[in-house]
Amino acid sequence: MSKLKLVDVNKYYGEGISRVHVLKDVSFSAKAGELNLILGPSGSGKSTFLTIAGGLQTPTSGKVLIDGIDIEKLSSKKRDELRLQKIGFILQSYNLLPYLNVADQFKLVDRIKKNGNVSSEAFDELLEKLAIKKLLKQYPSELSGGQNQRVAIARALYTNPEIILADEPTAALDSNLVKTVGQLFQDLAKKEGKAVIAVTHDLRLREYADNVYELADGKLTLSKNSPDQ
Amino acid sequence: MFLALKEMKHEKLHYGLIVAMIVLISYLMFFLMGMMLGLQNENDAAIKEWGTETVFLNKNSNDNLGQSIITRDQLSGKGQKNVALVGQAPVVLKEKGASKESAQFIGLDPDQFISREKIKITSGRQAKGNNEIVVDKSLSKKGYHLGDRVTINSQNEKYKIVGFVNDAKFSVAPVIYGSLPVWRELRGLNSSAVASGLFSDNKLSKNTYPDLQHYTVNEYINKLPGYSAQNNTFTFMIGFLMVISLIVIAVFLYILTMQKISHYAVMRAQGIPARHLIIATVTQSIFLMVCGVIGGILLTLITSVAIPMSVPVIMNWPLISLMAVGLIVLGMIGSLLPVRMIIKIDPVQALN
Repeated sequence: MSKLKLVDVNKYYGEGISRVHVLKDVSFSAKAGELNLILGPSGSGKSTFLTIAGGLQTPTSGKVLIDGIDIEKLSSKKRDELRLQKIGFILQSYNLLPYLNVADQFKLVDRIKKNGNVSSEAFDELLEKLAIKKLLKQYPSELSGGQNQRVAIARALYTNPEIILADEPTAALDSNLVKTVGQLFQDLAKKEGKAVIAVTHDLRLREYADNVYELADGKLTLSKNSPDQ
Repeated sequence: MFLALKEMKHEKLHYGLIVAMIVLISYLMFFLMGMMLGLQNENDAAIKEWGTETVFLNKNSNDNLGQSIITRDQLSGKGQKNVALVGQAPVVLKEKGASKESAQFIGLDPDQFISREKIKITSGRQAKGNNEIVVDKSLSKKGYHLGDRVTINSQNEKYKIVGFVNDAKFSVAPVIYGSLPVWRELRGLNSSAVASGLFSDNKLSKNTYPDLQHYTVNEYINKLPGYSAQNNTFTFMIGFLMVISLIVIAVFLYILTMQKISHYAVMRAQGIPARHLIIATVTQSIFLMVCGVIGGILLTLITSVAIPMSVPVIMNWPLISLMAVGLIVLGMIGSLLPVRMIIKIDPVQALN
């Protein structure tokens, strides 16, 4: 069963002559245990795809199903709850809270989502894997872009989400760290059965993906270069 | 709470400045309140000490005790139970070796309730006869002592100070308690004038003395020259400071929240309920106000100890506590503006 499914999703922005058709009849399905990569140039609708898939905004038409539940039918409060419990967002601008040190970024999550977060062993392993264990006392302003990005990844994974939505997760990382993140995403999919969806420009992640899609002019197509094809 | 405290700890300068502003505003408010009460006390302490309920003056006195003269005719046929005759005259007190002091002479009948029950002697004794007086204790700091023989205005007569009383102030001057015959002499009146006013510790109706102007004691105090204007000025300043504190906290929190919108959007995208962010903002506001108000109270406390006795300031701590609570409530109201902004945050902004 699909963890996340988009069915004939269309999204328009604006009104009248400024109306723009951003997503055109997009259908997509992400299963547990799969790493899906969505490639596309700037302005292709990648971020809109991600916000709709994550329930941050609703499509103009079509459906978004998470574990078979149509999220449009959920109240705003229920959608918050769903995001908190099931979805891990890794954002391009990795907005860590500037007044919390790295350890406190995770403590904040603990205070809001009290159960179901990763075990302390798994957390240690995650910190080791992302090479941020020594940064726990640092504030975001004291970290490099790559370190901030890795902390943001760890924070998104800390809630142990079933679905991981990543927006340019490797934008600030060098090739070695891209490999680490690619491997981490692959492990999350294969070993922990999570559905991972990453939208990116970064072709270096292709080799880790189960499915590669291309989003161009609002249309989503399964790439010919997908490893399955 | 976690978010609020962590942020304030990290952004000490930002929040320190806000607290400093609230400290200064609250200190100014508390101090102005102290001055208002101090000046009120300078005007009405003696009358409040008498514990009266009703005042009667001459109808043509224009609400002024000093201008009022009640004659025997105006009281004819009326009983004088539960009332005290009070004769008032502004005077200058003189004695060799002491400075000249402006004062208010209050002539009383020794058999009536003000003399008998309300004048609380702190040292010495009650005055007997026409040549003895009891004076406000503040005069003791200006060179007047028990047993001193003083003159009043240009009279040749000497009056012996036989007692001191606390808080005997009227119209911003110390009070000299003496007899009604002396009051008549000071005012140059004949024996048909019985007093300036009639004070009662009972609630009497207008009809008790139909030939006289009737006041409740609060009405009368509010009509003391300059009293209402002075109180209204202070009340306006304190009210304005309250509004300023509301604006300060609302504007600062609004600006700080605006700067944090992108972070809040990320948290909202991650499913953190707006409720948590609202609690953090309101907690911050309460914390800032509590710190500021405590700072203001501490400064007020230091001032009340250090300020010279000549400055008429009375710190009424229950009232200051009430104002402090009012300020904290205003801070909570001030946080409603950023709270509105938080409610409207669109988590989609997190991806932009």
